[in-house]
Amino acid sequence: MSVTYLAIGWNRNKIFYDCVIAAAALLYVSLFIRFVPRAGDGPMIDEPIIRMRAYGSCAFLMLSAILCIGPLARLDARWLPLLYNRRHFGVLTCGVALLHAYHVLGWYFAYSPTDPFVALLSSNQSFARVAGFPFEWLGLFALAMLLVLAATSHDFWLSFLTPPLWKAIHMGVYAAYVAVIGHIALGSMLAARNGALAMIATLSVCAVVPLHLLAARKSLSGGLFRATAQRQGWIAIGDPQSFIEDRGTVIEIPGGERAAVFRHTGKLSAMANACAHQNGPLGEGRVYNGCVTCPWHGFEYRLEDGCAPAPFTEKLATYALRLENGVVWLDTAARPPGTRIEPLELPGDAA
Amino acid sequence: MNEPSFFVGYAASLPADTKSFLLKVAAGWVFLMGALALTLSVATDDPGDGHFAGDAVLTGLVTNAPYPVLFLPPDAGHPLGHAVLLAGDGKTGAQSQSLSLEGKRAKASGYMLKRGELDMLVLGAVSAEPAAEPSASFNPAPLGRWRVTGEICDGKCYTGGMRPGTGLAHKACANLCIAGGAPPVFVSAAPVEGSIFLLMAGPDGGPAPQGIADLAGLPVQVEGDIERRGDLLVLKADWARAKEE
Ligand code: FES
Repeated sequence: MSVTYLAIGWNRNKIFYDCVIAAAALLYVSLFIRFVPRAGDGPMIDEPIIRMRAYGSCAFLMLSAILCIGPLARLDARWLPLLYNRRHFGVLTCGVALLHAYHVLGWYFAYSPTDPFVALLSSNQSFARVAGFPFEWLGLFALAMLLVLAATSHDFWLSFLTPPLWKAIHMGVYAAYVAVIGHIALGSMLAARNGALAMIATLSVCAVVPLHLLAARKSLSGGLFRATAQRQGWIAIGDPQSFIEDRGTVIEIPGGERAAVFRHTGKLSAMANACAHQNGPLGEGRVYNGCVTCPWHGFEYRLEDGCAPAPFTEKLATYALRLENGVVWLDTAARPPGTRIEPLELPGDAA
Repeated sequence: MNEPSFFVGYAASLPADTKSFLLKVAAGWVFLMGALALTLSVATDDPGDGHFAGDAVLTGLVTNAPYPVLFLPPDAGHPLGHAVLLAGDGKTGAQSQSLSLEGKRAKASGYMLKRGELDMLVLGAVSAEPAAEPSASFNPAPLGRWRVTGEICDGKCYTGGMRPGTGLAHKACANLCIAGGAPPVFVSAAPVEGSIFLLMAGPDGGPAPQGIADLAGLPVQVEGDIERRGDLLVLKADWARAKEE
């Protein structure tokens, strides 16, 4: 785990990224509000309703984009910088969703003797219906989820909650997405006389779902090396020449684990493939300044012992390698995280 | 193999190929958001012609069953007299002000909401007004038994309190208005005796039961007795037997 938590580090790229997502959201909301058809001297529908629709649909589109970034980054590394800054996108989306909720509460649930929050939760009890279902609950669930994700987005929480738990909580973004689809389908699409929102929601699903399937297929098959032979807990992982300098190769170990083998200055080392940060695929990373660098957020690990360089304290399991008759073998028994193993010299091949 | 350069998240500088790619992505995203905003915005459904129609002072006969109504005497435009639904401010009914005036002539002021032939006065003040001449009577004229299909709406949002003031997104708000005492209106899909608005009542002519909340905002079919009071149609039905269409 990292020993220090810095305030979010800013650099020009991140500021540019934040400006782009904020500008897109601002443009969306202002165009939406400006171009609602008018009747007589004013817009055809109430101002607060225009705003709730503008903010609500904006948050939905932003959430859709956020969900696409993960698989896009797996399919094409050029998307990775967007992945790295995705938290800012998420926090902004949560803010836009809050504005949507604010206008809903301040209009549909205001001007009544009943408290707006009580009214929100109690005025529609048709839970047994499809059309007429209190779709507000779905929106509320999604908003609560986004709030939890935004509140725990800082690395402090990642460390405090431990990466597996943090990751599990943050998978809740998919539950939020499904809830939002239900929210707009039951609250708007079902009764709309025009198909614009339905079309946009369909486009969103048609981007999010296939991208995840493609990325999953790549994770399952792409670049994965399966052992060609197995003997007493060791597996043959190929010809030394098949490993590319400063690149990783993901090795599937019988039993489901994965190791990442790297070649650096002509020597091979192996460590667990799952990054200690958020299980990023280390084998898809590279050796950078003498350290394995995770492609997701740039955590680094030393080749010889799987430890993050000081002051960081992350450690990964390491694997022993040996060369036998021109074939590289990997010991499937992982060494405890941080165990030093001398990198395997490849004969006559020092870089 | 010509792979894109490797980017590490915390590095301040981006490789040139990644940078130009991301600039295109950024421009594309801003453009896409703008285009989607326009697509959705111009596709806004017309919510109907409910609207605020200014302040008014009206004098007529107050009745409270099933809901507060002010009956205005016949005039050139309304040979049968004209029924104006009453509501309180916000999501409330007018009962607290109108019950004590039952059957009396009263002068009411407030602001009007109007949708087609349906008028609502949102009460500011109301007081008894001595009758100069005997009030016209608004005895109910039965129109027989009908099966009607339509939507249960709250009369206040429907007449323009909110735009749109109908439909699924508005259901919880309609329930809140009806629970607050605003008159529920059944908006029939096909005109009944020339009108598509029917003031809803229970089978005994009293207020509609709270249970109608479950069906508000949905297409509903119901059977009941319709009667005419002035130019207002009242639908007396057993709402527990109403069905979603
Ligand atoms: S998963 Fe975040 S750096 Fe590896």
